Amino acid sequence: MGEKYPINLWVNEERYEKLKNAGLADMCKEKLAGLKVIQVFADDAQKDQILKLYPMAKFDSSTTKSIELLPREVKDRIFDLVVEKKSIDVIDDFLKSH
Amino acid sequence: MAEIGHGGKEIVERILEPKEAVERIKGLKSIPVRDQIAKEVINIGYGFFTPLQGFMGKDDLDSVVKTMKLKDGTIWSIPILFDLSEAEVSDYGIKAGDTVLLTYEDNPLAIFEIEEIYTYDKKEICQSVFGTTEEKHPGCARTYKYKDKFLGGKITLVNRPKINPPFEPFFIPPLQMRKIFREKGWQRIVAHQTRNVPHTGHEWLMKGAWLQAYGELPIEKPIVGVLVNAIIGEKRKGDYIDEAIILTHQKLNDAGYFGPHNHMVSLTFWDMRYAGPKEAIFHSMLRTNLGLTHHMFGRDHAGVGDYYDPYDAHRLIISVQDELRIKPTFSMNWLYCPHCGEVTNEGLCNHKDEWQKFSGTLIRSIVMDGVKPPRLIFRPEVFDLVMECAEKYGFGSPFVTDEYLEKRTPVFTIPPLKA
Repeated sequence: MGEKYPINLWVNEERYEKLKNAGLADMCKEKLAGLKVIQVFADDAQKDQILKLYPMAKFDSSTTKSIELLPREVKDRIFDLVVEKKSIDVIDDFLKSH
Repeated sequence: MAEIGHGGKEIVERILEPKEAVERIKGLKSIPVRDQIAKEVINIGYGFFTPLQGFMGKDDLDSVVKTMKLKDGTIWSIPILFDLSEAEVSDYGIKAGDTVLLTYEDNPLAIFEIEEIYTYDKKEICQSVFGTTEEKHPGCARTYKYKDKFLGGKITLVNRPKINPPFEPFFIPPLQMRKIFREKGWQRIVAHQTRNVPHTGHEWLMKGAWLQAYGELPIEKPIVGVLVNAIIGEKRKGDYIDEAIILTHQKLNDAGYFGPHNHMVSLTFWDMRYAGPKEAIFHSMLRTNLGLTHHMFGRDHAGVGDYYDPYDAHRLIISVQDELRIKPTFSMNWLYCPHCGEVTNEGLCNHKDEWQKFSGTLIRSIVMDGVKPPRLIFRPEVFDLVMECAEKYGFGSPFVTDEYLEKRTPVFTIPPLKA
């Protein structure tokens, strides 16, 4: 299986409420000194497609190996898909919506 | 007392007083300059680029490209060039031996004594400075944008820049900076290079470098300081806005994470070339001129993409250390360890499986998500100020947007010249 690259959906109170209401609070994990996050993963091809679609985004190749700096509204859409599908396997659906 | 800068050369401000300037510029042809050149003219005038007294001639450029030295043997890593197109040279009717007036925003900036007009292979410059000729390297892209003719010669500033709020207190040229260091009684000063709002990884880079620089010195009273020297230059969309960068670094001082006894903040105008190791040498020269004794270098200093090995800059600095008048302090990465419950250093902590690494990019991503990071990672005072800067200076965003680029107040302006 190829490498997977995370997109970090950082969980503020508003996002945590949505997860709790959907019974998904346990999808969060604590990362970075207790900060809550949900990670969705992209494979190599999906990573490249995302970076092409959103040129301001950046693959942090040196430190975290994650896709960062996606616009807030894009992260919100991915987050909404996670809540809707009750799954973190949403990148395919997200990309299909383009 | 002569102030000695990079290369053992005296730092001299090449700036005319207004009364003399008004007389000297009479009858000179005017050539408007773009933002990058204006910044470099200011740096030459105030001695930031000592020993350069102007834009490089062909011999100096050739020597820098081939040996990383000026023709007099002084280490120099990045060409400082003034460019015009052939048509412009012809239209302005200028030739070697002429003296012209450089203007910025239609106001007089500097006298340029043109000593030569020449051409040089830009690819050769790129290969030497950036280690690549690829156009996608931002330093190469900038080099290829130079027009075809280079003009070498001395610069004399005729008009001091007006530094606009909130940046005024942070523009401190070399001679003034050295005076401040003496007043503070600092015997060693370590540079922290930044283009970022500080997270605690940056804070600990500074604290670690301060400890390294302190070394064997007595500790009864504070005699070592950190100088944050923010590089203020061309912005890219998605960068933190300049106001947030400079003010949040000062906030670390005001909020007590440092204090005036061991920390101060300043800025230097410079468009980053992302030349990695060569830019690290350049930063060493710049900070030598500011009066610093030590310079901190972390991983992949001034790098971009995967062009440089993370420790190329360290290796190049070590190779010419005897020719620099500033000592490097090399820093390992700082990270959060949940086991230790603290920010620690990868050279210290052995809970490797538990490490939570973080980068400026990751923190920006958190802030973009509208989430306040934990105080161990990002100081709350810094976060609150970032948000305040977004409202006050960033048109709602702490990051550079098209609107910011279009409407921001420039960091400096050149006022009309009055005798």
